[in-house]
Amino acid sequence: MSMVLTEALGPRAKSRVRIANWVTLVVIGLLVAFVVRQLWTAGQLEWRLWEPFTVWINLEFLLLGLANTLKAAVIAMVFSIATGFLFALGRLARSPWVRGLCVSYVEFFRSIPLLLAIFGVFFGLAAAGFDASPLTSLVIALILYNSAVLSEIFRAGINSLDKGQSEAAMAVGLRYWPMMRIVILPQAVRRMIPAIVAQLATLSKDVSLGFVISYEEVVSRGTGFSAFSPAGNLQAYVVVGVIYFILVYLLAKLAAYLDTREARAPKAAADPDAAAIDTEIDLA
Amino acid sequence: MIDFYSTNADRFIDGTIVTVRLALLSFAIAVVVGVIIASFRVSPVPPLQRFAAAYVSLFRNLPLLVIFFLALFGLGDLGLVYDGFPTAVVALGMYTGAYMAEVIRSGINSVSSGQAEAGRAIGLGFIPLLVTIVIPQAVRTVIAPIGNLFIANFKNTAVALTITVTELTFVSRQLINQTAQVAYSVGGAAIIYTVILLGVGWAFRSLESRYAIKR
Repeated sequence: MSMVLTEALGPRAKSRVRIANWVTLVVIGLLVAFVVRQLWTAGQLEWRLWEPFTVWINLEFLLLGLANTLKAAVIAMVFSIATGFLFALGRLARSPWVRGLCVSYVEFFRSIPLLLAIFGVFFGLAAAGFDASPLTSLVIALILYNSAVLSEIFRAGINSLDKGQSEAAMAVGLRYWPMMRIVILPQAVRRMIPAIVAQLATLSKDVSLGFVISYEEVVSRGTGFSAFSPAGNLQAYVVVGVIYFILVYLLAKLAAYLDTREARAPKAAADPDAAAIDTEIDLA
Repeated sequence: MIDFYSTNADRFIDGTIVTVRLALLSFAIAVVVGVIIASFRVSPVPPLQRFAAAYVSLFRNLPLLVIFFLALFGLGDLGLVYDGFPTAVVALGMYTGAYMAEVIRSGINSVSSGQAEAGRAIGLGFIPLLVTIVIPQAVRTVIAPIGNLFIANFKNTAVALTITVTELTFVSRQLINQTAQVAYSVGGAAIIYTVILLGVGWAFRSLESRYAIKR
């Protein structure tokens, strides 16, 4: 319970909370009953509409769609980490031209919808005479888009380090790249890992938009269901939703776990040697 | 190029109007949903807390597209809305509302507990305390995240094209089909989005520099 707003309750407040408990439970119960009744009268709860999803081959069809979702998400993630990193360095560069270019890129892709980028890439490549598959187009759009987001995460990670780190590195005579490689990045990357995992969760949600260029991910596959089986659309999307929920929930939990572990870990800035050893263990 | 934009200006404008309407209406719903869910979350009533947590978790772990489809095929049966546009408003509002609840909650938690204690000491009950003491301070600490949320919500309106809402990205997609001018069709929409959202970003930054509590 949030202790900001309430402290230990007295007898009167306790009895009020008890009443509120019951009222809430009754209201939630009524709400659920209403939803079930409406769906029942609309015939959405009929078994024949749900039955196809108890057959393994149908579930397998959807799960292979999920594999496609993950495939696009992971490929896009790997490339956007590289490009996002370059843009982050570009934004921290000394040359105003490089900085300006990177800022414009990031601001542009942060202010257009991902769907527009997907259409632009998909139809743009086709118009330019490239025979790009939906997967390729989707992944390119996701990379363009995500490298802008990731570059902000990276920049925040690099900026979050104490200024003394880079000053100390320069004081011992390191140039820019050795400083980045030896001092700044090992610490910054460590701090950013939870954010990167969280971004992977977001990315796997974004892959669902591949639907609009008929990439065979899990939502597209769910859409096809009512065409060749007695399953209804609502039922198909409920099943797709459950599958998606589990995936994103697990990724988000992993990110939260990494985050608390990172917060508990001894601060890297205090002892660089210990940090280096720790990072190696992390990767293993 | 001038030809392209002079013949299709009306359609870009119509699309922009739909996008802006959808963005504003859904954001208004998101604010209401966010405040309600956040107050559930900080209330001393366990079932309300759990309901709020479940709501946030549900909407944050599903892609917006799936929520739109569930709304499209489900809301009608619940006797609520059938049409594309209202469905989009409700679905997007409830989706952004979950994120809004988290932002507001973090704002509430950032208010020092001495403030709430002082409020209780002068005899305020839970709701007056929340409304007159805590929320006004909480809002000022979360201007920047709310700005980001507004921008994200604005961009997410594009997903409504999947349920046949004729917003700006839909117009762009349609023009690609009809004119085969990919660069102009996408570029026009991209410029409109960029101009609006850079303006919105600027507005929130100036709000922030004016009202945010410096810590």
